[in-house]
Amino acid sequence: MKRCVKFSLTAGLFLAAPLFAQVPDAPAPAPPAPTAAQASSPQQSKFLGGDVPMFNPGTEIVTWDGHNWNINNNRLFEARFEKYLNAPEETTEQDKQYQAILRTILDKLAPEHLTTKSVDEAFRLLPRASNFDIDARLCDGLADAVYSAWRAQDASDRLAQANDALEQERKAAEWNAKVTAESGKLDAAPPAKDKDASSEWAKEQDLKRTMRMQPYTTRLAEILGTIKTNQAKKELSLLQAKIEFQALLVQLFFQRRFQHVLIGTHFYRAVFTNGDTKLEVGKDTKDMFQKSTGMPPTVGTMDALANEAIRDVREGVQAFRFLLQQNELESASKRLAEAFAIGEYLPELRTLPRDEKRRVLEFSQKSYQLVSAIEVKDYALAEKLVKELSTTAKDFDTSKPMAAIETARTVSAMHLAKARNAAVSGDKTTLETELKEATEIWPRNPALAEISGAIFSQGDVQQKALVDLDQLLSQHNYRQIYDDKLRFIAASAMYPDRQEQLKKVLDQMQIIETAIIQAGEIRKRGDYAGAWETLERAFKQFPDDSKLNQLRANLTTEAADFVRTLRTAEQLEEKDQIGSSLAWYLKAQKLYPGSEFAQDGINRLTKKVLPET
Amino acid sequence: MARRASSSVHPIWIIACVILLFAAIAGGWLLYRNVSDPYRTLTPLDVPAYLENANSLRGNVYKISVTVDTQLAWSPTVGRLYSVLIDGKSDVLPVLIPARFNQLNIQKGQRYFFKIEVGDKGILRAQDVRKV
Repeated sequence: MKRCVKFSLTAGLFLAAPLFAQVPDAPAPAPPAPTAAQASSPQQSKFLGGDVPMFNPGTEIVTWDGHNWNINNNRLFEARFEKYLNAPEETTEQDKQYQAILRTILDKLAPEHLTTKSVDEAFRLLPRASNFDIDARLCDGLADAVYSAWRAQDASDRLAQANDALEQERKAAEWNAKVTAESGKLDAAPPAKDKDASSEWAKEQDLKRTMRMQPYTTRLAEILGTIKTNQAKKELSLLQAKIEFQALLVQLFFQRRFQHVLIGTHFYRAVFTNGDTKLEVGKDTKDMFQKSTGMPPTVGTMDALANEAIRDVREGVQAFRFLLQQNELESASKRLAEAFAIGEYLPELRTLPRDEKRRVLEFSQKSYQLVSAIEVKDYALAEKLVKELSTTAKDFDTSKPMAAIETARTVSAMHLAKARNAAVSGDKTTLETELKEATEIWPRNPALAEISGAIFSQGDVQQKALVDLDQLLSQHNYRQIYDDKLRFIAASAMYPDRQEQLKKVLDQMQIIETAIIQAGEIRKRGDYAGAWETLERAFKQFPDDSKLNQLRANLTTEAADFVRTLRTAEQLEEKDQIGSSLAWYLKAQKLYPGSEFAQDGINRLTKKVLPET
Repeated sequence: MARRASSSVHPIWIIACVILLFAAIAGGWLLYRNVSDPYRTLTPLDVPAYLENANSLRGNVYKISVTVDTQLAWSPTVGRLYSVLIDGKSDVLPVLIPARFNQLNIQKGQRYFFKIEVGDKGILRAQDVRKV
């Protein structure tokens, strides 16, 4: 548990370190929704004007300034980690020399070897170490801190010597004052009986003594004041040097420069030998150390934490290498990421071969790509990546991504099915709603594109069909509408007004078609007049149908006598020649006894002749 | 033996008698025909002209010999309207038999002589009816 807390502290420090020097150059990825655990976490303390980052190893979530990041999934970490994974191993002669210098410094400052000479030698190595790029001039900073402390100590010594001189002077002043007070020449005393004179004489004598002692007492007060001031200066100078040194140590600690922390703590102990290693830091930092270690913050605490971090990184790297051998890339990448988060600058990590890191990089890139694919709901790509990752890393857990993919696929398919049904039934509102839902769930779903394309192309066909329908209606070309009725029925499904028009047309055409069929059957019996009359009846209703006209024309030829007789009757009827017309109708009826036209004509004219009937 | 004198009629006489007989029959038939036509002074109706344009015949009186086909309508006050077949032709004509002939039992298939007038709107109205 304690180790875990230490880890959280160091990880938190890692994230805090870059924040000291830079402002995030881009917004972090959207934080995950806070969990109950996060919600119940204590309020974060303030540090350096902001919240101190806290890392929860259980969820791998870092919380800072009210925002949450997954340590394995944020741009800042991702970029640094990727840079590290692509960097060559630092095993050059120069790198080896640098590490050798650091080790030498630590050896020389080790308690068992600590002498004034070894401290001086170690101090002289600091500028050499700072010449290396990897050092980032941190050793120079340490050297400056040590030098400043020494200067402070020197000043303190000079102040002590000054105080000694002042003390001598104080003693001389006291002596002079005492001698002056005792050895003064007194005037003759007045007679004892004269009390007033005696009293006046005594006052005069006191005044004279005081006046003689005045220079000495004034000087004594000045000396005492100077001594006190020098003592305060001495204390202040040392305290200031300590605080500056401690601030540097804390900064190095937050930068995860643990080797430098160790060097610094060793120097601190060598410079400030009075045993006071208590850190003079702010309340928040003090609280953080106390909560992490259970002890007040001291140089020793920092030293222990740095050593622990170094050990933890070493162990993490060992675990990484073992997992890599086992082809368990997911765990290996996690262990390496954890180790990197803690000890980015430690030699165990810097000397890792690039080939080994590249394997993790490939896995990490695909992992990040998978996370991104799921975030943008590109489940097709996510599924492809899951398959690749499970092939390359045998410990890759496919359950979570596959659950997300399958769920999205199922729900999207459900919405698409509803959309398809809505499209068929002409329910435009449901169609739009379901397509929107399906798009939100899986925007790049291939089936979505396919179905949308089909629906939209269907929409084009539909629009064209509707245009055709309108045109044919305006032309009264009902025959064409009837011949293509399936297309128009489908197209007008969502348009009730057109549906009504189409229904009317199809009903009419149904009458025409029925008449044509009936006429055909009657014609087969050789009853041409009957067939003609059947078509003529339909023709009177729908004179524009071409097919009907054609058949009627054919039958007019075949039943020419009957048709001519009937036409003559009709013409005479129009001329109001009732007698002749009736005669022609009777003749037509004789030609075709079943003629309804003839019977109707006879009935009409009979009514005219004998209206009473 | 005495030969008996011949008594048979000369064949010429027989032929002449037969001819006379047929002539008598024909003459009788012709006479009958002329005598039996009650409207022999009237002009028969020119059916094609009537069918072509009845208006041109309006006001004229004609005779027709017909066979009754169908009663088309009946009005107790106005009369009966029949379709009749013109004898010797295939034409069918409508004839209005006024109410004054209501006592006649006119039935399908009966043959009649009609004295008709081409009335208003070409309607044939019977002025007299004689059963054949």
